[in-house]
Amino acid sequence: MILLLPVVCPILAGILVLAGKVFRKDRKSLIGVSLAVLVLEAGLTAWALTSGGSLLVWRLTKQMDVSFHVDDISRLFAALTAAVWLLVGIYSVAYMSHEEEEHRFFGYYLIVVGVLMGLNFSANLITMYVFFELMTLTSLPLVLHERSRAAVMAGLKYLFYSVAGAFLALFGIFFLAGTADSLAFTAGGVLTDGMIAGKEGLLLASALCMIVGFGAKAGMFPLHGWLPTAHPVAPACASAVLSGLITKAGVLAVIRVVYFIIGPDRLRGTWVQSVWILLALMTVFMGSMLAYKEPVLKKRLAYSTVSQVSYVMFGLSLLSPVGFVGALSHVVFHSVIKHTLFLAAGAIIVTTGWTRVEQMRGLGRVMPLTLGCYTAASLALIGIPPFSGFVSKWYLASGALSSGTGIWSWAGPAVLLVSALLTAGYLLPLTIQGFFPGHDFKNEEIEKRKLAGKEPSLWMLGPIGVLAAAALLLGCFPQSLVSMIESIAAIVL
Amino acid sequence: MDGMEILIPGICGMGMHLKMDGFRLVYTLIAVLMWGVAGAFSREYMAHYKNKARYYVFFWATFLATVGVFLSADLYTTFIFFEIMSFTSYVWVAFDEKTDSLRAAETYLAVAVLGGMVMLMGLFLLHNVLGTLNMDEIGPAAKAVLEGKETFGNGQAICGAGGFASPKVQLYTAGGLMLFGFGAKAGCFPLHIWLPKAHPVAPAPASALLSGILTKAGVFGVILVSCVMFGNDGGWGLLITGLGLVTMFLGALLAVFSVNLKRTLACSSVSQIGFIMTGIGMSCLLSWAGEGNLLAVRGAFLHMVNHSLIKLVLFLCAGAVFMNLHQLELNDIRGFGRGKPALCFCFLMGALGIGGIPLWNGYVSKTLLHESIVEYAHLLEEGALAGAKAAEMGQGVPAMLLPILTNPAVWKAAEWVFLFTGGMTVAYMVKLFVALFVDRHPVRQAEFDEMSSHYMKPLSRFVLMGAAALLPVLGAAPHLTMDRIADLGQGFFQGTGHAHVIAFFSLTNLKGGLISIGIGAVLYGAVIRQFLMKPETGAEKDGGRCYVNRWPSWLDLENLVYRPVLQVALPGICGAVFGVLDRYVISVPLKVFMAASSVACRAMDHMTDGLVVLMRKTVCRQLPEPKAHLEGNWLAHVLGGMVDGIRLLWEKVSGKRREGQVRISAVHHFIEREKQMKHTGVLVEQSFSFGLILFCIGLCLTLGYLLAVFYQGM
Repeated sequence: MILLLPVVCPILAGILVLAGKVFRKDRKSLIGVSLAVLVLEAGLTAWALTSGGSLLVWRLTKQMDVSFHVDDISRLFAALTAAVWLLVGIYSVAYMSHEEEEHRFFGYYLIVVGVLMGLNFSANLITMYVFFELMTLTSLPLVLHERSRAAVMAGLKYLFYSVAGAFLALFGIFFLAGTADSLAFTAGGVLTDGMIAGKEGLLLASALCMIVGFGAKAGMFPLHGWLPTAHPVAPACASAVLSGLITKAGVLAVIRVVYFIIGPDRLRGTWVQSVWILLALMTVFMGSMLAYKEPVLKKRLAYSTVSQVSYVMFGLSLLSPVGFVGALSHVVFHSVIKHTLFLAAGAIIVTTGWTRVEQMRGLGRVMPLTLGCYTAASLALIGIPPFSGFVSKWYLASGALSSGTGIWSWAGPAVLLVSALLTAGYLLPLTIQGFFPGHDFKNEEIEKRKLAGKEPSLWMLGPIGVLAAAALLLGCFPQSLVSMIESIAAIVL
Repeated sequence: MDGMEILIPGICGMGMHLKMDGFRLVYTLIAVLMWGVAGAFSREYMAHYKNKARYYVFFWATFLATVGVFLSADLYTTFIFFEIMSFTSYVWVAFDEKTDSLRAAETYLAVAVLGGMVMLMGLFLLHNVLGTLNMDEIGPAAKAVLEGKETFGNGQAICGAGGFASPKVQLYTAGGLMLFGFGAKAGCFPLHIWLPKAHPVAPAPASALLSGILTKAGVFGVILVSCVMFGNDGGWGLLITGLGLVTMFLGALLAVFSVNLKRTLACSSVSQIGFIMTGIGMSCLLSWAGEGNLLAVRGAFLHMVNHSLIKLVLFLCAGAVFMNLHQLELNDIRGFGRGKPALCFCFLMGALGIGGIPLWNGYVSKTLLHESIVEYAHLLEEGALAGAKAAEMGQGVPAMLLPILTNPAVWKAAEWVFLFTGGMTVAYMVKLFVALFVDRHPVRQAEFDEMSSHYMKPLSRFVLMGAAALLPVLGAAPHLTMDRIADLGQGFFQGTGHAHVIAFFSLTNLKGGLISIGIGAVLYGAVIRQFLMKPETGAEKDGGRCYVNRWPSWLDLENLVYRPVLQVALPGICGAVFGVLDRYVISVPLKVFMAASSVACRAMDHMTDGLVVLMRKTVCRQLPEPKAHLEGNWLAHVLGGMVDGIRLLWEKVSGKRREGQVRISAVHHFIEREKQMKHTGVLVEQSFSFGLILFCIGLCLTLGYLLAVFYQGM
């Protein structure tokens, strides 16, 4: 029963916030209720994760049921979601005061976290698919929030890509439902040789469909197009969670399908694995290249997400324990880092109104602490030790080298390094121009608007600082995380 | 010295492994000394700068990172500290935020990030092949791989299967990539470009550290790769020696032509790193030839130590000049040192040390390096590598390298390059010394002389002179001091053979030094005084006094007269080729690559969207919008047209027509109205007929009832 609470509570609270008239007028009660629910959510999640167990919620038919179960992967994703959601919630309090119709944002914000928890806890493919689609629908209002033409078009694009991806995946689900006895997640897969005899080709095709389909949410080529369109138009806190956590839902879905339903052994060495690696590597390179070319900061970060989430996809596609460790640790690290970056970008926009990188020259005089956190996160994303990105990239590359996938085993690390160089190229200019604008630099705008030393409020700076510190500390002391993931890897591979 | 080791598991994933042994002890002490001296000097030097807090934070952060590099016991730890060091020292270069500094800092960062990433790739490969990054273990493991064994010493099978090539090739690739990364930081030849740019613009204490010890962190890695991994590999030794000789010669050449005090010192650093690299390469070669390589090892190590100490003194002297004059061009600062004995003493100690003058420390290490080349050439002449032995040795080496490795003439030539570079070192140091302390400034000399009493504060003066006094102490009693330092350090280089006491001041050993000094004197007299100077021109002629002809206007010489000539002649062979390499070979393919791939990526980006658009345009085309509904009755058209005309007429007559107003034709109104009427008519018709039907049914029922009643009644 306890498993139901983290899912249902925020959804009910969100509906209440959307429906209640009092929340439209009284900002204090809106903020109070939202934060209280987020704290409660964190507590409930912690309780649910420690008590564990499984729960049958609703039996649709004999073969299809909606049920929850907690394993180590759920723990990892759910804990990450609850913690980050709370921090971004705190940040939103200050950020959203600059926007209209806050109750709508907070309402959907609460609903989405409930849906995400449901996704994390799902015990079989059907449940996961239900919550996956729900997540698309409920997160759509976050993209649409500004209600400008660009936002609506971006929202539609987001919807179309997600739905198209989900339908691709649905084909795979139909095939598997017809083939396997049960679609409950089982480490190592549910298929036996007898079930798929004579249908190997179809199995592989449906596996690729599901990878590409769920990969749409993770921003994997060719269905990555929604990401750079949808993220920049959403409010910064929404783009942060879209980029840092919603994309990870795609990753989770792929993990569940490949490692818990189909089984990694059935894909190892097949053409599906090669295609998957190729797609992931292409995305890695393409994302960072386009980010390097992109002048608008938030869009640049969105392209960076395209690239970085495919680091995770690359790690998963190796189907080796070390690569798996690299992938899952990069899930955590990238989530923390990308939240820092997006929240910092939001703080910059709120304080100065600047959106393009070349406007931000001399930013170090305006908000040195924010820019410092941005820099820490940038170094982490590039993979400079001792920041966290380094650890995951180490595992990814050594996993690739020892994976025995032929040409990919060394082409993969090479692409990762070129991408790391590009990452440095697109993230560091902001730091450099911000802190070293030149000895005779004078920005009249900074003087006229009295921007110098104007850090954002503590509501914003606090979460940014905590996340940046996490990006550093997770890199210095990753041992407990890594050993947890290693134990998962030992089970599934 | 037996070391102690610290292993902190879990830091950054693989754990942090630190170790203390003789080499590390020496370099930790040097780091402490250098940072102490530079820190004390900074108090005066940085007094007038903004952002002092930023400087000091990164100053000490870099200290910690550098010590971390030298203490690291596995390459993973080395890499972590190496990257931290690169990024924190970036702030030094960019510190004063002038355009030059920012440009130089950009180059520095680019080289640092690129070098770091390439090195990381090397570490990945190395880890993949050897399964370990521990410095004590990679030596034996690499040896097992190079000898083509199936397993390592401990029975573990050699990994690297599934790689792109055999473990041996992978190992060489890893070594090459790591050499790239470490060599970039060391300032080794093709990657030295950041050094002459970055050093002049950084604050002087920072340049002293950049040049004196940060480059040594790179050398530390080169030693690891060369001496520990490929300790007795002839081909590798040849590569390192070749790079060393080129670096050494090119750096010295640049220094001879440079007209900026700190730039000259920076180029000199490049050159001295070349000396060290040569020593490292020779140690590989000697060990390959089956001889003890201690001579080369000790020479390389002592030259590292000496260069650190000497460059500390020289750059701080340059700092003393800069903090008074804020200029570094030799023309602007000439004569500054006159009447300043403390500065003169310090600079002279450094100059004599680096010039390899007997009784100063540089002489000792250069003699050892020279001897190592001589010994190798001697071995070849004796035929120690001839016949069967050569065939045996040749197996590990590509065949085309063998003639170079075994030809005594090549190594005679190398020896002369070495001696000639030593000569150039002497020449450019004499040039700097003469400029600073002998020449007079045509205009500001009185002003300079006036500064003599207060150009340096007591603290700076004290630490600088202390550091300078160390150099002759080391050099005058080499057996007491330098031999012991070398004993401490040589273990790290995996030196073999036994150290015999070398009579540094015997005639044979003095000969090499003296030849260099002779070449230097000739170069200074014949080349520098003749070609690199020209008579003073213009209004600055000071009443025909004797110094007029001695000091040329350097910039003129560089830009207008000699530069075109010199680029074709002596350095032209190097200078032009390397300039082209510098400028185009890297940047043009990079630009082409960037342009092409960004186009390709953009295409990929829009592929799916494009597909949808294409389909909308072709197969799934939208149906054409139905044309405006203009059927209707002819009456509606006629009436509507009339109303339109009347309205238009009325508007024209009354002048009420407004621009931009959208007019709806009255025809539509009429058609709409007509449709409405039709619709209503239909409704009415339908309801009427419905009524009729009901009526009929009712009538039929009534008739039937009547009939029934009628029949019953009958």
